[in-house]
Amino acid sequence: MGSNMAECHPVAFRWPLKAKTEHDAVLMHVDPRFTRTSAMCDVHVPIRAGTDIVFLGGIIRHVLESERWNTDPFFREYAVNFTNAATLVSPDYKDTEDLGGVFSGLSPDGKKYDNASWAYQRNPPPSPPAGKPETLSDLLLRKVPGRPKTDPSMKNPRCVLQVVKRHFSRYTPEMVERVCGCPKEGFLSVAETLLANSGREKTSNITYAVGWTQHTVGVQIIRNAAMLQALLGNIGRPGGGVLALRGHATIQGSTDIATLYHSLPGYLNMPDGRKAHDTLKDFVVTEGGPVATSFWGNYPKFIVSYLKAQFGEAATAANDYGYDYHPRITGDHSHMPMFLSMAEGKIQGFLVMGQNPAVGGQNARFQRKALAKLSWMVVRDFFETETAAFWRNSPEVKSGELSPKDIRTEVFFLPAAEVPEMDGTFTNTQRLVQAHDKAVDPPDDARSDTWFTYHLGKRLKAMYKESASPRDWAIRNVTWEYEPESREVAAWRVKDEPSAYRILKEINGYTVADGKPLPTFALLKEDGSTACGAWIYTGVVPEEGKNRAASRKADAWISPGWGFAWPANRHIMYNRASADAAGRPWSERKKLVYWDPAADSGTKDPAGKPVIGKWVAPSGEGIDFQVTKPPMFRGKDLALGFDWLSGNDAFIMRADGKAWLFAPAGLVDGPLPTHYEPYESPVKNPVYAQQVNPVAKVWKVEGNPYHKTADPQFPIVLSTYRLTEHHLSGTMSRWLPWLAELMPELFCEISPELAGEKGIRNGEYVTIRTARGEVQARALVTRRMRPFTVDGKTVHQVGLPWHWGWQGSAHGDVVNNLTPMVGDPNVSIHEGKVLTCDIRAGKKGGGAQHA
Amino acid sequence: MSPAAHAPGWEWFYIGLYFFFAGVSAGAYFIGSLAEFFGGGRHRGISRTAFYIAFPTLLLTPPLLVGDLGQPLRFWHLLFHARSGFPYINLSSPMSVGSWALVLYGAMAFLSFLDNLVVEGKIEFAPFAKAYSLVPRKVYAAVGSVAGFFIAGYTGVLLNVTSRPLWALTDPLVGALFVVSAGSTGAAAIYLVMKWRQIHPAPELEEFERFDRIVKVIEIALVVAIVVAAGKYAGVLFRGTYAVMFWVGAVLLGTLVPLASNLYAHRRGHHLRSEPAAGLMAYLVLLGGLLLRISLLQAGQL
Amino acid sequence: MPKGMFVDTTICIGCKACQVACKQWNVLPGEPADFRTDPVEKIPVAVNFTGDSYDNTADLTGTNWRRVRFIEQFPENRAGGRWLISSDSCKHCNDAGCLNACPTGALVRTDLGNVALRQDVCIGCKYCLPSCPYGVVAFSHETGTARKCTLCDERIHNGLGTACAKACPTGSIAFGEVAELKKKADARLAKLKSLGRGKANIYGYKEAGGLNVFYLFDDRPSVYGQPESPEVPQRRLPMTSAVTIAGAVAVGVAALVAFRERGQSDRGGEEVEK
Repeated sequence: MGSNMAECHPVAFRWPLKAKTEHDAVLMHVDPRFTRTSAMCDVHVPIRAGTDIVFLGGIIRHVLESERWNTDPFFREYAVNFTNAATLVSPDYKDTEDLGGVFSGLSPDGKKYDNASWAYQRNPPPSPPAGKPETLSDLLLRKVPGRPKTDPSMKNPRCVLQVVKRHFSRYTPEMVERVCGCPKEGFLSVAETLLANSGREKTSNITYAVGWTQHTVGVQIIRNAAMLQALLGNIGRPGGGVLALRGHATIQGSTDIATLYHSLPGYLNMPDGRKAHDTLKDFVVTEGGPVATSFWGNYPKFIVSYLKAQFGEAATAANDYGYDYHPRITGDHSHMPMFLSMAEGKIQGFLVMGQNPAVGGQNARFQRKALAKLSWMVVRDFFETETAAFWRNSPEVKSGELSPKDIRTEVFFLPAAEVPEMDGTFTNTQRLVQAHDKAVDPPDDARSDTWFTYHLGKRLKAMYKESASPRDWAIRNVTWEYEPESREVAAWRVKDEPSAYRILKEINGYTVADGKPLPTFALLKEDGSTACGAWIYTGVVPEEGKNRAASRKADAWISPGWGFAWPANRHIMYNRASADAAGRPWSERKKLVYWDPAADSGTKDPAGKPVIGKWVAPSGEGIDFQVTKPPMFRGKDLALGFDWLSGNDAFIMRADGKAWLFAPAGLVDGPLPTHYEPYESPVKNPVYAQQVNPVAKVWKVEGNPYHKTADPQFPIVLSTYRLTEHHLSGTMSRWLPWLAELMPELFCEISPELAGEKGIRNGEYVTIRTARGEVQARALVTRRMRPFTVDGKTVHQVGLPWHWGWQGSAHGDVVNNLTPMVGDPNVSIHEGKVLTCDIRAGKKGGGAQHA
Repeated sequence: MSPAAHAPGWEWFYIGLYFFFAGVSAGAYFIGSLAEFFGGGRHRGISRTAFYIAFPTLLLTPPLLVGDLGQPLRFWHLLFHARSGFPYINLSSPMSVGSWALVLYGAMAFLSFLDNLVVEGKIEFAPFAKAYSLVPRKVYAAVGSVAGFFIAGYTGVLLNVTSRPLWALTDPLVGALFVVSAGSTGAAAIYLVMKWRQIHPAPELEEFERFDRIVKVIEIALVVAIVVAAGKYAGVLFRGTYAVMFWVGAVLLGTLVPLASNLYAHRRGHHLRSEPAAGLMAYLVLLGGLLLRISLLQAGQL
Repeated sequence: MPKGMFVDTTICIGCKACQVACKQWNVLPGEPADFRTDPVEKIPVAVNFTGDSYDNTADLTGTNWRRVRFIEQFPENRAGGRWLISSDSCKHCNDAGCLNACPTGALVRTDLGNVALRQDVCIGCKYCLPSCPYGVVAFSHETGTARKCTLCDERIHNGLGTACAKACPTGSIAFGEVAELKKKADARLAKLKSLGRGKANIYGYKEAGGLNVFYLFDDRPSVYGQPESPEVPQRRLPMTSAVTIAGAVAVGVAALVAFRERGQSDRGGEEVEK
C-alpha cells in the first residue's frame, strides 16, 4: 500500500517477485490506481486516495474480531509479551468514539493537543538514589517513572487492547466499502489473507512509501500499519515487518545524518529555542527523560559524543562540550514554512543542492515567486534546472507576472558532479549502507556536493578565524579535517576532493585519545572520551581502514556480509521478538534469533565462572538485544536503558520496551490512527463529525487558498505520483534524450467514465485546475483509473505524474502549480497525494505552448 | 504476410523507374532475341531496333539503383563481399541473384548493341573483330534473353517474397505480371523507335498487335487475380493517388484502352487503324507499365 | 551452442531499463524522428507522446532496437483486469527472413546463433526491412544502413551477456545457452499452468525455425502484437519463381505465335534492313 514499488523501486522489486515466483508468496496491492506494481501482484484492491486508515483500521477490527486471532495462542502471547496491549491507559483518556472524532486534550481553539490524558497508568516511581547527581546519566536516573500498570488478561476496559478494539469498532467492512469505495469482498480477501499468513509458521510484510507519508495523516497511516503488524505478530520476524521504501539516492542516509531541520544525526533532537533546552543538562533531561528507560537512556552518551565529533578538542566538560554555541531552531523551519518566510522577504540567501523547488515545491507558483524575494541563491546541479532558470524563463516571467529586471535575486549556478564521480555511501531501504566508488573525474569545474561543502566550510573558517564574538565560536571550532591522503586522490585529476573515508569514520565514531574507530556504540561514553557523528552508524568502520559499507558478500538470506545495516548490522529491527517469551523460536521455519541456554556468553560472573546462555543468530544477523540478557530476566526498577528493560522487552527503543499499539507520547495528533478526510475532499467525513486532522499544518495566507470540503467547483480527486522513466522533478531524467523519449510529455490518467462525461478523448489536451493554478496535459484515458462510489455517490479520480517542468528535453507544465501547502502535523510533510480539482477538455487559455 | 513488417522506403523515382526501365529493356531484348531466332531474317528490323533499345535503356538503371541506397558508394558489395573481396551471391535473395543477372544481362545487351553497330558499319575494330566473331550473336541473344526475362520478372518476385501484406498476399503473381508487362512495354518501345527511325513496320504492326492482344489479356487476368488475392489489403489500391494510378493509369489507359483499340482495329481490319493512333496506344502502354509498377511499389509501402 | 534470451513477460515490470541499456551500450541516440529542436533553448525536445498506454516508442527503428509493449485488458467492471507487458526486440530466428534477403552478406549468423548486421558491409538497400515478419530490422538515416539488435554481438563473444539482460532488474530477460533457457521456460510455463493460467504459452519454439530470443506469454501472441504463425517469406520463393517462369514462357509463346505465323505470309520479298 502507499507505494508503487515496481515503478519506483524496480531494482528492489526483484525480491518480492522472487518470493512470488519461487516461494509462492502472495502479493497484494491496495492503491487508487492500477499501476505496474498492480500488474505484478496477485490481487489489486482499489481505494480512494486518502482513505488508507479506514482500510487498515478495518483490517485491525477484522483481525481482533476473528476466530483465529482469538483462539490461536500465538497472537495473544505475542501481544502480551511484546506489545503494550495489556498496558492500562489513564482514566482521563477519551477516545474519538466519545468526542466525535477527536481525542481528549484538544485545546479550545482546536489547534493543539495536550497529551497528559493519553498517559499510562503507572505504579509509583522508584525511590531516587541517594546523593547528588554527578553525571548526565545520574540526572536521567532521577526521571525514571514507575513501571506501567498492566492487565495480562487484557480484559480491563482501560487496557490498550480494549481501547484499540473500541476505537476501531466502527471500521466495519461496510464502512470500508462506503468510505474507500472498494468492494467489501476485496477488502475482506486482503484482511483474511494477511491473517492467514501470520502466526508461528508464516509472516507477512507491509511495504509503503510516499503514498502513505504525503498526507495530513501520513504518520498515523504508517502507525496504523505498524499496529496491525504488531497485532499479527509480524514485527521483528523474518518476512514480516513494515518496510519503508526509501528511494532517491541515500534518502535514508539524508535523514540519518540529518538534513532534516529538526534532527541531529542519529535521530537526536535539535536544540530548540522553544523548549527547555537552555543548558546541556536541560536538554538531556527534556529529551532523554521521557525515554530514559529505553535504549535512548544512553542519550547522554550520544549527545556528548556528537558534540565531541562536532567541536573536537574545543568541546570539554567545562564548556558543556560546546552545547551553548550549538545552533538552535526556533520554529518549524521545514520546506513549506521556509518558503512562506522567503515570500515575506525574511530570507536572504538560499543554497539549493539536489533539489528543484520550482517544480518540486508545493504550490509551485507561490514558491517560484518567493525565490524572487531572495537576495542571492546558489543552485548546484548537473543541468540548469527550473529553479536555476526561474528568473529568465519561468511561466511567471513568460507571462509577465515577474520581470527579470525586477527580480533582485542573484543566482549562482554551479556545476555538480554525479554519483560515479565521487566516493561515498548510499543508505536506502532497510537502513542498508552501501559504499560506492569514484569511477571517473567530473568534467571541468563540476564538483561533488562534498567538495563544495568542505571547501565552503574551509573558507568560512578562515574568514572567522580571528573573530572574538561568542556567536562565531561554533564555526571557528567545528572540526573540519577531511583532507584526503595522497593515495585516495592519486588516480584522479581532482586532488582536493575531501576524504569520504574520514567523513565516514567521524560518523562511525572513535576514541578521542588514539583516534581508533569504535567497533560498537556500546563503547560510547558521556565523559568526552569518545566522539561519534551518528551513533546509529557505529560499527560501519569497526577498525582503521575497514569499511563494512564496501563489503559485498551475498548469501541466500540475510547477507550480513553485504553492506552495513544500521544499527550494528541488524537488518530486522526488534528481532528478539522472533523468539517467544522463553527465548524459543516461534517455529523452526521462522527461526532467526533465539536463546541458546548452553552457549558460553563470553562473559564471566564475579566468581570468575563463565556465564552460560546467550542469544544467537546462526544466519549472522545482528541481534537487536542485549546478547547476554536471559529471556526471563526482570529489569531493575531504578535503572536506565538496558538495565531497566526485561528479557521480553524486545522493543528496546520504546520507553516501556513494547511495541506501541497505543502511543501515549511522541505524536501530536493522537495516540491512535483515526480517519480524517484529506484536507481537500469532495465528501464529508462519513466516519466522524470531525472532517480533517484538527492539528494539521495549515497556512492560510494569500496565495495559498484551499478548497472547501465538497466544493462543487472542484469535485474530482487528484493524486500525484511518479513513473519509472523519470526521477522526481526531472532534473536528471528530462535532460537525457533516452529517458525523455520514453515519457516525453505530461499526461493525465483519466477513467473512460470521466472522459465520457467531459468529452475528453485519448491523446488530446486537457486542463486541470485548482485554486492555485492550471496545468495542461495529454489525456491518457484508461480503465486502470476508475470512479469510486463513496457514501452512495460517484467520486471521480484523476492522476498526474509530477516530473515535468519547462527545461530539458521533455517539457510539460509543473503539476505542483495545483497543489496547496498543507502538511502532516508531526513532521510537516506535505499532503501531495490527494487534493481536489476540476478538469476540462482542451488546452489552457493563453500562453505559448511547446510544439 | 505480416502487417508488422516494415516498409522499405523505396522511392518511386528511383525504384519505380528502375522497375520500368528494366522491364522495357528486358522486354524489348526478349522480343528482339525471339525475332532474331525465329524470324529467319525477316524480322531483323525488329531485332535490330530491340537491341538498340535494350542496352541504352538499361544504362539508365544503375544510377537509379545506386541512388536509392543508404550507402551508394558501396553498391559493389552487391557483387563482391566487402570484407573478403570475393564474388558473393545469396541464392535465397532475389536481389542478390538479380544483381548478378543484371550484370550478365547487361553484358549481353552490350554485346548485342555492339553487334548492331558493327553490322551497320558504324564502328570497326579490326584487332578484335576476329575474337569477336567467334561467338555468334545468337549466343548473346540466347543468354541475354534468359537473363533478360529474369530481369523483367525478378523485381516482382522480390516484392512477393517479403512479408508486406500487399506484396505477400499477391504472391506468386507479381513476378509473372511484371514479365508480361515487360513484354508489352518492350514491344511498345520497339514499335515507337521503329517509327521514329522510319523503319516501316506496317507489316509488323499487325504482329505487334497480335502479340499485344495476347499479352494484354494475360495481364488483365493477372491484375484481377492480384486484386482478389490481396483481399482486405487491396484497399490501398482503391483509395487515394495510387488508386488513380493503378486503375486509371495502369489498368484503364495502359491496358484496357490499348486492348480495346486493338480489338476494334482487329475486327474492322487493321488498315483502318491509323498509325498516329497506334503511336498513341504505344505511349499509353508505356505509361501504364510505369504506373503499374509505381502504384504496386508505393501502395505496398503505405 | 547457440545463445539467446528467454523473455518471461509475466515478471516484466515495464521499467524500460532494457531500452535504455541497449541504447547506452550500442551508442544509439534518442530516436531522431521523436525530437524537435527548441528554437530558444536550442536543445532537442521529445514530442512523441502516443497515448498508447505507457508505450511511446511505437515501433522498432534504426535507433530503437528494443520496445516495451503494454496491453491493458480491463472489462468495464474492472474484474480480473490485467496489464500485460512485453519487451520486444529482434528474435534472432533460426530461419531469418532478413538474412535470407540480404544481397551483400551484411546479415550473418555467428557461431553463437545470433543474427548480426555488419555495418561495414551493409549498403542500405533496405530489402531486409520488408522481409522480417516481426517488423524488427529498420533503416537508419544517420548511418545510411539497416540496423537492429545484434544480441550484443561483441559482448557475447567476450564472455558477457546482453546489455538488456544485465540491466533487467527482475530477471525477466535472461541471457544464456538456448538449451538451458528452454528448461527454465518450460518450468515457468508448467508453474503458470498449474496456477490455472491456461492461456500461457511459449512463443518461439517452432516459429521461423525456432527463435533464439523466445517468450513466455500469458495470452495469445497476437495480443502482444506478434504474428500468430509467422512465415519466413523466402519459403515461397520456389513457387513464385515457378509462376514467374510460367509467365515468361507465356510471353515467349505469345511472341512466337504473334511473330512467327506472319512470317509465312505473302510479304515475300520485303526487305527489312536497317
